[in-house]
Amino acid sequence: MIFWEIAKRNIRLHLLRSTLAMLGIVIGVVAIASMGILGNSLVLSVSDSLHTVGDSVIVSPYTGGGSGFGQGGGAAGSTSLKITDQQFQQIKRVVAPNIAIPVLQTSDIMKLGVGSDTIVAPIYGISPDDLPNLVNLKAGDYSRSDSGCLVGSKFADDHNVKVGSRISIGTDGDLGTLRVTGIIEERGISFDISTDSAIVVTQNWFDTTYNRIDYDTVVVKVNQGVDSAVVKTTIENQMNKRDKVVSVMDSKATLATIFSAFSAVTTFVSAIGGISMIVAGVSIFNIMMMSVTERIKEIGIMRSIGTQKREVMWMFMYEAAILGVVGSVIGGLLSILTGYAVSALLLNSTKYLFVWSSATPIIEGVCFGIVISLACGIYPAWKAANLSPIEAMRHE
Amino acid sequence: MDTQPVMLFRDVVKVYPLPAGDVTALDGVSFQVDRGEFISVMGPSGSGKSTLLNLMGCLDTPTSGDIFISGTRIGDMSDVQLTNLRRDRIGFIFQYFNLFPLLNIIENVTFPLMLKTGKGVDPERGREVLRSVQLDDKLFTHTPTELSGGQQQRVAVARALINDPDILLCDEPTGNLDSKTGAGIMDLMTELNRKGTTIIMVTHDAHIAEYSRRTVRIADGRIVA
Repeated sequence: MIFWEIAKRNIRLHLLRSTLAMLGIVIGVVAIASMGILGNSLVLSVSDSLHTVGDSVIVSPYTGGGSGFGQGGGAAGSTSLKITDQQFQQIKRVVAPNIAIPVLQTSDIMKLGVGSDTIVAPIYGISPDDLPNLVNLKAGDYSRSDSGCLVGSKFADDHNVKVGSRISIGTDGDLGTLRVTGIIEERGISFDISTDSAIVVTQNWFDTTYNRIDYDTVVVKVNQGVDSAVVKTTIENQMNKRDKVVSVMDSKATLATIFSAFSAVTTFVSAIGGISMIVAGVSIFNIMMMSVTERIKEIGIMRSIGTQKREVMWMFMYEAAILGVVGSVIGGLLSILTGYAVSALLLNSTKYLFVWSSATPIIEGVCFGIVISLACGIYPAWKAANLSPIEAMRHE
Repeated sequence: MDTQPVMLFRDVVKVYPLPAGDVTALDGVSFQVDRGEFISVMGPSGSGKSTLLNLMGCLDTPTSGDIFISGTRIGDMSDVQLTNLRRDRIGFIFQYFNLFPLLNIIENVTFPLMLKTGKGVDPERGREVLRSVQLDDKLFTHTPTELSGGQQQRVAVARALINDPDILLCDEPTGNLDSKTGAGIMDLMTELNRKGTTIIMVTHDAHIAEYSRRTVRIADGRIVA
């Protein structure tokens, strides 16, 4: 195809300006793709951090605002609002056959051995029967005895705690000493309980020690095949008939909201990258118009010796396509490097770079680059094709 | 032998509508060109020569009257049909050669053939035509800017001949050449005409016009002789 050849040679003839136009596309693709990769890595990273073993519905006392997310590790004793045993029984009844697990929570001073520093850590009180439904162990056994406890994996690592270690609770151990029977698997950020830096004791020990009979949270483990949103609504309908007494959070819906928010952020930052692509498109448009203006007489000659309008149009579209495809492909390749760098710098991890969902923004960026280039080539090509041969040949 | 005129103008009028008022560039022009003729068209500036050339080259259509190229009426043709007619039946030779700087000589010469066939360069056919206009073989792969004016015009003639047109339309073909080179080009034209090519040449130069067998003079949009 002679017009393809002419397009290639014209780009080579004006290598500097063609390179600059391509550079604009390269920057645009890199901006869009690397922002997309970063957003995707962020979502995957958060997704990995959020621990959800199946779907959970978390019921907490209504405090007048918010649904209680992030209560793990906080001092539950700071609020007097609790879920009473009667309310718990109501919840248990309406969610059956799904399992409702009452959770007690506080923070206290503790000591890990003779001569060691005193630390403060969250303490969860959970019935031994419910523990296997809520946490998995990486070492040891679930504690059935009131003198035993479980510790989170981070807690164990930070304080060099092993199965069999002893922990004294309270100032000078006045609340008792517990033996570590198991170490809980790392759970990351969790909607129900955050055990990584906490210790988990039996509900009985908790009740006796802190003289507590009301619960801080009720975690409902939703069975497979059951819609957690329905469970949430059922609890709300039952518990908040007259006054709002509990806040109910559906982990699945909350997770979806979080991912949706991340997705919106990713779209937004990619759109900012898209602005640079629009600028690149304007640059393509500009050099295509220059190319047409410089070659008006040549176009007139071509038309006069028998070149059809569509052939002139194609000649210029080939030019725009070459600039767009070459620029976009280079941009796509570079965006892998920039995506790697951005992920390494901002997330301290590049493990999410080589997954299929990270390729999507690259493909989108490359396609957008090509489409923008072609779109910006259409008007100059159309203008060239529709020049009057007589007027074009007169052009100096 | 085909006795049909290669070109026939019948009462052709061309009016350009301008804001200041209509301008009549051609006013009832009638003439015919028979196969194998070598005609020069002469006239002062503003006489309507360029308009006549544009109409003969199917680059424009008349306001009224009829133009026939090898028996085909061009008045009602679409742009695509006119373009195909230019490509297949008319060879253009310009004052400033107008070769394509991005293409080498063989590519320039075979350009109209590529348009016609939709295929790539036919180097054999290109060489054959370039040899017929007496261009040195070693120049075939050069670019136009590496050639002299006379050589470029020979390439332009070869390009005009590549599709075996019915008419060779020349616009001041020696206007940008020195007299000796110009004479060489005119000798080539004469030789082509002797072999049967129909040539219509627009020129200001009476000496160049002497190479033709018939001269059409135009003034104020009318043929006067």
